[in-house]
Amino acid sequence: MARVNNWQLGREMSYWYPESRPEKQFAAVFDTNKCIACQTCTLACKTTWTSGKGQEYMLWNNVETKPYGFYPLAWDLNLLEMLDGQQWSEKDGNHVYDGSTIFESAPAGERVHGWRPSDEDYAYPNVGEDDCAGGVDGGASMEVPHQMAWFYYLARICNHCTYPACLASCPRGSIYKRPEDGIVLVDQGRCRGYQECVRGCPYKKVFFNPMTSTSEKCIACYPKIEEGLSPQCFSNCIGKIRMAGFLNTPDKAQADNPLDYLVHIKKVALPLFPQFGLEPNVYYIPPIHVPTSFTKQMFGPGVDKAVEVYRNAPNDPDLTSLLGLFGSTESIVRKWKRVGDKAIGMDENGKELVNVPFREPVHIRPAYDKLHQITRTNCP
Amino acid sequence: MMRFLIFAIFVLAAFAISCGRGQTPTAEVNVAQVKEVTLDPNDSAWRDVTPHVSKLLLQDLVDPRLMEPSTADVQVKAITDGAQIAFRLEWLDETQNDVPSPKHFVDGCAVQLPSKIEANVPAPQMGEVGKTVEIAFWRADWQAIVEGRADNIQSIYPNATVDHYPSEAKPLENNPQALSEAAARYAPARALGNRRAGPRDQPVEDMIAEGPGTLSPAPNAFSKGKGVKTKTGWAVVISRPIPAGFTASAPSQIAFAVWEAAHGEVGARKMRTGWVPLILK
Repeated sequence: MARVNNWQLGREMSYWYPESRPEKQFAAVFDTNKCIACQTCTLACKTTWTSGKGQEYMLWNNVETKPYGFYPLAWDLNLLEMLDGQQWSEKDGNHVYDGSTIFESAPAGERVHGWRPSDEDYAYPNVGEDDCAGGVDGGASMEVPHQMAWFYYLARICNHCTYPACLASCPRGSIYKRPEDGIVLVDQGRCRGYQECVRGCPYKKVFFNPMTSTSEKCIACYPKIEEGLSPQCFSNCIGKIRMAGFLNTPDKAQADNPLDYLVHIKKVALPLFPQFGLEPNVYYIPPIHVPTSFTKQMFGPGVDKAVEVYRNAPNDPDLTSLLGLFGSTESIVRKWKRVGDKAIGMDENGKELVNVPFREPVHIRPAYDKLHQITRTNCP
Repeated sequence: MMRFLIFAIFVLAAFAISCGRGQTPTAEVNVAQVKEVTLDPNDSAWRDVTPHVSKLLLQDLVDPRLMEPSTADVQVKAITDGAQIAFRLEWLDETQNDVPSPKHFVDGCAVQLPSKIEANVPAPQMGEVGKTVEIAFWRADWQAIVEGRADNIQSIYPNATVDHYPSEAKPLENNPQALSEAAARYAPARALGNRRAGPRDQPVEDMIAEGPGTLSPAPNAFSKGKGVKTKTGWAVVISRPIPAGFTASAPSQIAFAVWEAAHGEVGARKMRTGWVPLILK
C-alpha cells in the first residue's frame, strides 16, 4: 500500500495506489435543510440512465430518511459496526482522525474492509421514510428544539471519491478515475462482475447488473459535465438543494470558487463519513435541527461549526447570496461574487451565467384595507 | 437416520469420484486418443479413460484471496481426436448456483494451458508478462443460457413485474433502429461488446492472461463445452483445438480452477491447482 494525504482526516493514510489527483475534481454541495424528499432527483436519474433490463432495482441517486432510512438496508450501520467505534482528536486547531479507515482495517486477504448487500437488502428503497428518531407518544406536541422527534432527508449519489474504494477493490483495474474531472467510472468493456467494487464501496453506490453480469454506477452525467452543465439530479432538483462544481484541495482554495468557499473557507459543508477514508467529494450542509451526537458520526467533527455558520447565514450576506445560487441555473457555476443584494454566478472565464437577488422586496399590507373598507384575510 | 443416509451416499460418491470408478488416478493428465471427441460429460467415451485427480489449493497469493478452503479436488479426464482436445472435469458441489444476482455468484471451472510449449513454463498463477496462458472458462449460468434460459429479469426473479422498458416502447418517430438503440443505451456492457454480458451461444469463454488481473478475451473464441449437474456435483467438458506443437514427444502443462459459488467464490477467490504435466498417450 502507498501512503497518501487525506485532508479530511488531517493526516496521511494507506491506500492501494499512490496519490494522483485529477486536474480538477468534480464535487457537489447538498443542503440537507432544504431537501423535501420529493425524489425528483431519483426519477431524473432513473429515467436517464437505469431503465434497462437488470437495472430495475438500481438507484444511482436515492433519497433516504435518516435515521431509519437506508438504501440498501443498513448500508452505513453495517460498516460502522465493523469499524467498531473510532475517535477524532484535535491537534493545532485541526481535527485528526485517530481511528482506522476501511483501507487500514482491511482483514488479511482483502483489499478493503467491506461487505456485500444481498438482493433483499435493495428490496425496500424507501424504508424508514419520515420515521422519527424517537417515539411520538399520545399528547406530544411540537417543541423547538425538537429533542428526539427528528428526522431529515439524505440525498445520495456516488461521491466520486479521491480515494475510491471501488477502484481499490477491483482486482482487474476495471474502474478508473478520469484525470480531467475526477469522475469515477466502471469500464463496461472490461468489467467481469466479480462484485468486489460492490463489496468495497462503503456508500454502496456500485450496483451489480444480473442481466449483463457487470457492475454499474453513477457516472455524474459526464456527457453533461463535459458541456458545462450540471447532472440530471441537480438540474431537476425541486428544492434547489444542490450545487455542482469543482473542488480544490484546502491549500489551493479560491474564495471565488463556490464549492471552495462553502467547504474550505466557511466550512459549512462536510463530507459524508469522512472516517471511512475515501475523501468523498459530495459535501453536505448538515441538518441544523438534529442532535449533533448523530450528525458528528455521519459528517465528522466539523458539525458544530457548520451548524453555527449556517444559522448565522441571515447575518452573512456573502453566504446568503451564495446559497441563493443553488439550483439557479443548469450551467455549472465555476465562479461567483456578491454585488449588493445580488449573487452573480459565472463560468470559468468570468462570464455571467445568472444573477439572483437574495433579498426579496418586502411589502407589508395592513390588515384593514381602508380603500375597500374590508379586513383582509390571510390569503396570498 | 435420513440425514445419515444422505451423508453416507455423499461420502460414497466422493470416494467414487476420487478413485475414478476403480481406475487408479495418475499423477499427470494423460490424453487418450479417440476417433471423435465428445462434449457430453455422460458419454460412454469417458468411461475407460484413466483419471487424474488434482488436489485444489487456495488462491491465497494475490488479494483478494480465498482464506478458507472449499472444494478439495477435481477429477480430470482428457481425450483427443488429433484436432480437438477435450477435458472432463468433475468435482463435488452440493449446491447448484447458476443464477447471478447481488451477493450471489455462479459455479464455474477453468482449464489453463501455456500459449507456447517450452521448457520454461509461465507462472501457474495466470501466467506472467511475456509468457501468456490460454484459459477456457465455463460458467453454470452460461450453461443455463445456452440451454434456453430467457434473456429477461423474470428468469432471475420469477415474480418480478416491470411497468415499462423504454427499449420496448413503440418509438414516436419512424426509426426502425430506435428500440435496439434504446436497449444498447441501457446495457452499456453489451453495447461495448463485452463477451461477459451475453446473450451467448457457448457456455465457455476463451481468455488469455499475463498474470493476475490481466485476464482478457482471447482474439479467437474456439472453445466449446457442456456442463451437467450430477447428484453430487458438476461434470463439465471443455473442448478446444489441440495446442500447437503438442505431441507424444512434446508434453505440455495444464492447470485447473474451480469456483464454488455457495462459498462466495468469484474472480480471484477460487480453488486452483499448480501446473500438472499434460501427456499425449
